[in-house]
Amino acid sequence: MSDPGLDFATSFPVPMPDADTQPFWDGCERGELLIQRCGYCKKWLWQPRPICSGCQTPDPVWTRVSGAGFVASWTVLRPPSLPAFAQKLPYVLLLVELDEGVRLIGFLVDDAGGWLQTDGEAEGIHMGTRMSLRFYDQAGTILPSWTVAS
Amino acid sequence: MSRPAWAGRQRQAVVVGIHALPFSKNIGMTERHGGGLAILGALQDAGLSVADVDGMYRFVWEGTTEMEMARILGIENLRMFGEVDYGGGAGCPAVSHAALAIENGLADVVVVWRSRNRSSGGRPWVSQLQATGQDQFERPYGLVRPVDGMALHTRYWMHKYGWGPEVLGRVAITQRELARRNPAAVMQKPMTMDDYLGARMIADPLRLFDCCLETDGALAMVLTSAERTADLEVTPVYVTGFAMGSGPQCYGMTFYYDEVLGVTPAKYVAPELWKNTGLQPEDMDVVQFYDAFTPQIPVSFEEYGFCGEGEAPAYMLEGKNPPYNTSGGGLSEAYVHGFNLLLEGVRQVRGSSTTQAKDVQHSLVTSGNVVPTGAIVFSKEPW
Repeated sequence: MSDPGLDFATSFPVPMPDADTQPFWDGCERGELLIQRCGYCKKWLWQPRPICSGCQTPDPVWTRVSGAGFVASWTVLRPPSLPAFAQKLPYVLLLVELDEGVRLIGFLVDDAGGWLQTDGEAEGIHMGTRMSLRFYDQAGTILPSWTVAS
Repeated sequence: MSRPAWAGRQRQAVVVGIHALPFSKNIGMTERHGGGLAILGALQDAGLSVADVDGMYRFVWEGTTEMEMARILGIENLRMFGEVDYGGGAGCPAVSHAALAIENGLADVVVVWRSRNRSSGGRPWVSQLQATGQDQFERPYGLVRPVDGMALHTRYWMHKYGWGPEVLGRVAITQRELARRNPAAVMQKPMTMDDYLGARMIADPLRLFDCCLETDGALAMVLTSAERTADLEVTPVYVTGFAMGSGPQCYGMTFYYDEVLGVTPAKYVAPELWKNTGLQPEDMDVVQFYDAFTPQIPVSFEEYGFCGEGEAPAYMLEGKNPPYNTSGGGLSEAYVHGFNLLLEGVRQVRGSSTTQAKDVQHSLVTSGNVVPTGAIVFSKEPW
């Protein structure tokens, strides 16, 4: 039961945005990381939602952030994975805690935003490593990713 | 025994029937076929028949609906039915719903089952390329396997609590030894620490033997009221109490975007469970903790209050813990979303486990602790 229009052997999973998440992906296309912040209580919110879960005020405000943060956790993905990722393994999957306090998933990439086939050792990835935002183009999907801060 | 603090129940639910088809890599039949046979086996174990069944609960992830199963089996009318979501979190909650229906007099004989061809049917994560909802921020990164989400938690726990890999290795080895005492268990080969440490990484820091099996299995449980057992030959296993919990900002497998890192929904289930049962961790003679992955064992001992935060490795090494996952569990008996743990929890009260704990009065079973989840206490005596 593969998805229509996607070749299982070669396709990466793709985001299917709806009205609550489309602004995030539009921001990525422009090279901007947008996170919602409540206009009333100022709470930062992730993942996207139509109502502030801190004070229940509707329509949190999409707000551009620098993407600076640190490694809150990380893993190295190894086989088996989806066929499309087979040639990219191993790679580092990061849980980055932004300075705003919310945590996002991302790839570990090089300073130019290029792919890193690595277990993270050469890059010195450890809990707490400071990270800088990059965007990685995965077959046309622009994904927030991180490189070790210089 | 004192009546649980959670009052309002009109009568007590009891487990009277359990059954599992042989676990295998290929069960050779559809999930509905296996599920139907498991239910018939559990009814036979109880001394009941399809004609007695008037309630049914299942996992949302169960491919066969209650409607379809009732139709196949020829059940006259389901007075109560429903399903519980969230993968491996659903087992204890589904049984709890069955008990609730019985306690409140809304049904008399309720069936819960899980049939899953998780081996021969393939891996559920491989075919989902269009990522909606929560998944759109995870799956494009290749975060598609349950082990990937668990690895991020495990790295954090190892860092925070100073666990070495041996903490997890001892869980894998312990459960393998328990499986080897259980002829029904899939894994019968001995495991050493060298075997554990030498196995390949799947998602660092989790190795192959940190992961549960991929099994075809079909299991069922039948519950009724204590009063209904008067004319049955079975020894009833009493449902003393149960609880469910989600905790705040809960996501399936990956609850780490907000709130405190490293805390699972089980932390929220535990105080409700002890309040509802009127019992404490030290009252549990044996436990079956949900074990899709090894780190769930030490975390469960801590979050259910058997020891303090960060204390589980020493607590377990010193042997202060009650026996756990005595059938071999998801790691070495079979992985069927924890339903085998529920059956083992009942067997421990019946006295029929292959690694029988001594003088079991209370037997704890939990469901998946990194998703919305629940726990249940089975007992030898009525409340």
